[in-house]
Amino acid sequence: MAQRAVWLISHEPGAPLGGTVRFSRRYPTVEKRAKVFNGASYMPIPEDGPFMKALLFELRLLDDDKDFIESRDSCSHINKTSVYGLLIGGGELWPVVAFLKNNMIYACVPLVEQTLSPHPPLISISGISQGFELLFGIQDFLYLGQKHDTEINTKLNQLPDLLLQACPFGTLLDANLQNSLDSINFASVTHPQKQPAWKVGTYKGKPQVSISITEKVKSMQYDKQDIADTWQVVGAVTCKCDLEGIMPNVTISLSLPTNGSPLQDILVHPCVTSLDSAILTSSSIDAMDDSAFSGPYKFPFTPPLESFNLCYYTSQVPVPPILGFYQMKEEEIKVKITVNLKLHESVKNNFEFCEAHIPFYNRGPITHVESKVSFGQLEVFREKSLLIWIIGQKFPKSMEISLSGTVTFGAKSHEKQPFDEICIGGTAYLKLHFKILDFTLTGC
Amino acid sequence: MGPRSRETWAQRLGAFRASPSAFMAGPEGEDLGCDLLSELRSEKLSEQTKVSLLALSLEYPAQLWPDTAAAEAAATSLLDTLVLLPPRPSALRRPLLLAATTALAAGDALGPTSAASLRLLPLLLGLASGSDLGRGFGPASEQRSLQATACECLRELESCKPGLLGGRLGLLRGLLGQEGPVQPLSLLLALALRNALLIQARARAGLQGLLVAGDAPAVGIPWNWALAEEGAAHLQPQAPGWPAAEVQECGLAVLEPSPEEARELRAAVAQLLDTSYLLTPVAQAQLLWLLGWALRGLRGQPPVLFKPQLVRLLGTAQLTLLHAILALKAAFGEALFTAQDEALLLRRLTLAAQHPALPLSAHLFYLHCLLSFPENWPLGPTGEEAAPLLLGPRLCRGLLPSLLHDPMALLARLHLLCLLCADDEEKEEKAQDWSPQHYLEELLAGLRQRAALDGGPRALATLCFQASYLVVRCLAMQPAVLTPLTRGLAQLYQSRPALAPHFVDLLDRVGPELGEPLRVVLRQEVVARPGKDEALCWHLQILAKVADGNAQSATLGFLRAAAARCTDWDLQQALLQVCRALLRAGVGKGLADLLQALARQLEDPDGRDRARLYYILLAHLAGPKLGVALGPSLAAPAASSLVAENQGFAAALMVQEAPAPIRLSVGPRRAEGPVPVLQLQVEVLEPVYSLELRFRVEGQLYAPLEAVHVPCLYPGRPCRPLLLPLQPRRPAPTHLDVRALYTTPSGLTRHAHLPPLLVTFADLFLPFPQSPEGDKQGFFEELWDSCLPKGAESSLWCPLGPQGLEALVSHHLEPFVVVAQPPTSYHVAIHLPPNSRLLLRLEAAQVDGVPVALRTDDWAVLPLAGDYLRGLSATV
Repeated sequence: MAQRAVWLISHEPGAPLGGTVRFSRRYPTVEKRAKVFNGASYMPIPEDGPFMKALLFELRLLDDDKDFIESRDSCSHINKTSVYGLLIGGGELWPVVAFLKNNMIYACVPLVEQTLSPHPPLISISGISQGFELLFGIQDFLYLGQKHDTEINTKLNQLPDLLLQACPFGTLLDANLQNSLDSINFASVTHPQKQPAWKVGTYKGKPQVSISITEKVKSMQYDKQDIADTWQVVGAVTCKCDLEGIMPNVTISLSLPTNGSPLQDILVHPCVTSLDSAILTSSSIDAMDDSAFSGPYKFPFTPPLESFNLCYYTSQVPVPPILGFYQMKEEEIKVKITVNLKLHESVKNNFEFCEAHIPFYNRGPITHVESKVSFGQLEVFREKSLLIWIIGQKFPKSMEISLSGTVTFGAKSHEKQPFDEICIGGTAYLKLHFKILDFTLTGC
Repeated sequence: MGPRSRETWAQRLGAFRASPSAFMAGPEGEDLGCDLLSELRSEKLSEQTKVSLLALSLEYPAQLWPDTAAAEAAATSLLDTLVLLPPRPSALRRPLLLAATTALAAGDALGPTSAASLRLLPLLLGLASGSDLGRGFGPASEQRSLQATACECLRELESCKPGLLGGRLGLLRGLLGQEGPVQPLSLLLALALRNALLIQARARAGLQGLLVAGDAPAVGIPWNWALAEEGAAHLQPQAPGWPAAEVQECGLAVLEPSPEEARELRAAVAQLLDTSYLLTPVAQAQLLWLLGWALRGLRGQPPVLFKPQLVRLLGTAQLTLLHAILALKAAFGEALFTAQDEALLLRRLTLAAQHPALPLSAHLFYLHCLLSFPENWPLGPTGEEAAPLLLGPRLCRGLLPSLLHDPMALLARLHLLCLLCADDEEKEEKAQDWSPQHYLEELLAGLRQRAALDGGPRALATLCFQASYLVVRCLAMQPAVLTPLTRGLAQLYQSRPALAPHFVDLLDRVGPELGEPLRVVLRQEVVARPGKDEALCWHLQILAKVADGNAQSATLGFLRAAAARCTDWDLQQALLQVCRALLRAGVGKGLADLLQALARQLEDPDGRDRARLYYILLAHLAGPKLGVALGPSLAAPAASSLVAENQGFAAALMVQEAPAPIRLSVGPRRAEGPVPVLQLQVEVLEPVYSLELRFRVEGQLYAPLEAVHVPCLYPGRPCRPLLLPLQPRRPAPTHLDVRALYTTPSGLTRHAHLPPLLVTFADLFLPFPQSPEGDKQGFFEELWDSCLPKGAESSLWCPLGPQGLEALVSHHLEPFVVVAQPPTSYHVAIHLPPNSRLLLRLEAAQVDGVPVALRTDDWAVLPLAGDYLRGLSATV
């Protein structure tokens, strides 16, 4: 259950070492146990330098892709999880839980309370999921709402103290590091009986519950006979409950409009106290039929102090919000493109922004564009081989807009131009980014 | 050293963290531990700096205080510092407690003889129970946080020394029921309970009322180390919690608590579970693991206690919680999860493995859990990844791989797809609308298309080959899958020969199901389409792997054409590497011509030399021997192929000494001909070829002996005697030193030293060549007389055995008798090469012996003759 060590390494492509260790923490008492449990297969935790080098190599983040290296490129070296074995000084350090997010590598080594050879299945090691949770926790702490490097540096500097609270001996006590930060600040508050560990203090003031629903639609439209178009809505319900009392009970109920598409694949926050079995089983795996449970979806819970995601869901709405058509014809160094977009009538025609990105891969830079847009304006990013069609806040009354034009490309120069392994020749795509406020596709 | 400023400490800590080993080896390393302890009491340093010093000691106690005594001293010092803190709020109390705990646990100092342990334990227990420790323990505002910290410290000590708190279970239970902080106490109690159960089960003891709630914290009572002493032996690899089959090993099954104990235990577990919702999700998961562990296999403890928690937890997206449920599933199986529950759990896992709101790492872990799912009734062998029975194709539909997936997700999903294909093959009636094989084929084709992209990243190629390998491993028995795969890979090679190293790697790892056909098509591909120059080195690399005895002329034709284009060292070596492969495969004639041409025409002297070497090997070594000479070296893997090759040569071509499988002995004498001849008899223990026996005589007694050759010898098959003519320079017995040189059935040449052969005096005896027909007596007398005066005369008594003189003569001297008057008188003339004579008169034999008069023309023979005659009686 415990972790032997934790690292944060920033990935810096092109830097001599390929990265910098931004944070590391070792747990010697856990290491002591690892030595006993692992026996002959025990491999000590290396120093930061060698660890980073081995991890960057294993994650293919060093710029030495040129040659075939058996220990990394062999066909039998198959990794199906974010858990790696690192070759360091002739031995193998395993299991190393690691993933890369926002150019930061999060890594830890969970304690395995048995011998390591042969490797026991990951499912039997309790420290694996604990390690993931710790790393996710650190990631959330660093990046939730933060975009600037200086803010991240400040948060990185807080990490040693936070882990001293949240994970003093390598066994994680709370993955919500913000909670630990609050508990440092709230240290003098006297706690009444049966205070939940996930709730640092109590709220005093005007009772207030705010709920927000965010839905993302992910749609792929091929307009082909043999490939089905897909569109799926992923929703998240975020709550912030400012209520007095230690354990206030709140129930939130989501209901759909008549004939609305049911919510599926519902995952809830651990503070939800009970769930209807229909909610548990409603899943996108099943074929859709009328008998599917369509709410109301009740979530009774005792809220923590901070803002949290009460639940996630998916939904299969009947039509995609915007229907697109994209055609590209190659004529030597030119391509002719045609785009038509149509907004569905049920969708609120009021965007915060709406733009279509038309990238061109595996070609030279754009040298010339001739275009005609029925609406909005077209921006050209020559070096990036990218066109951005800015549609703006509203579709016109007809709900249909179109773009046609010819793009000419220069000679392909090395490395600089965007590469893609799928968009070869006539295979290309257009990506639509948009955001609509105060509107959900599911209608809940 | 005087006190340091905050800055110097920051620098020092920075340098230490950059590389602890380098820092400790440097001049400042030695004092760091002591400095750190003393600076903690310095009034000049801020609390913040002190906390950072303590943080260092939490991470590197082994470097700061490398032995037990130092760790004990450090813990004592830390405790002293703690006691001396002024009674106002301080950020140091908590880290000091953690540091003292770490120093003791990591430094192996924890134990009944450690004074620091005996101070720390009651202190922690007192703090944990919230009792007033009097002045010095800070303001009341810190009590709560210190109480939690003390619990954490105790939990860590219990983890490192299981059983430490075994005697305080009752107390902990009591605290949990009162006002204590729920999470730290719950986790501490659960761990102590698990350890106590484990130790008691091993010791075959009951719970002995350990769980009965105790009184107030027993600060004054000496600590009970008994259980910890038992437990110390049990901090061993113990495969905890998984798989269920190992229950027996843990020995928990033997613990059969009394009804009363069982009730207490159930109450304690229920108490822990009931308040578990107050714990953070990760702590809830830990609690479930610990309790699952504790109750697994315990009789009289139905796991239904867990059931109310499961419903609540199944809906969450928390990795740790789902993982803990899986642990319970593995531990209790059907006792806790009905078939419907199992199906629901699988459904939730399938859902979580693809939920768009979860990160990729979580998806991958859930996929792993699906393939290692602890089924109630698993069909396959345990330990192998397999798709659970209840996970039908419909559930898997959402988990199919696609080219848009991340490589790891693609491989994980591909594995599932392969398992589906394997299942599909077994089913009689296949689904009409959708075939997993077809899907798989299309996916692999897409992967190959991406890998074929010129200038694409290596990761894409690697992914394609990993996928191919995975498919072969799962579906090796399905030609319907392998045939298109082979064809597709050949096409991939055709469009991007630079992937040759991947192909070689793949051929090295897959079995013959794919390996054989792939070799054939790759060879055809290379030989038939020589292609552009830049592909040549890749072609040669592939050919070196796939060339064999088949399609020789095409291969040789390709090589001849390639030779002209091999202008640099690399290419020439690659070309010769192919020649080497052909040599091994036993390709003969055409290859000799090629090698000869290469030995002349290659520009690089290194290449020419190697070609010549191969040519010489080909010309001089027979097939099997050549194979062995060029075969993989038996020595440890070498750094390069050239070194490996040299090692192979060294092993194969150098004559190594070995214990001989040959036994050599001297057969019956044959006294005839002009020179004495030894008849040698040979036996072998294993087949021996081209045996050459070499003999050497000590000193110059005999002329050098010719070697004896035998083409082959087989065990159990008699061989005619080998004749070894001796050419003595003086008539004297001697030892022959024998060496054997031979070839083993595996083609290696060995040499062996055989035990020396003894040539006796009698082995040299020859009859006189021209013994006249008529007057034998006269001939003898003439010889007799001619010995003197140059020679010597002697007479001696030759004892006779029971058979008398006649038997003695017929046994030993028959060929040399000139005049015989049986049974009493014999005249014997022996020629001793090179030119000595020995004459014997055996006359007037008596019952027990015969007087022998002897004369010789060589006085040196006398003692030998004497020994010989005296020895005769013994051998009769």
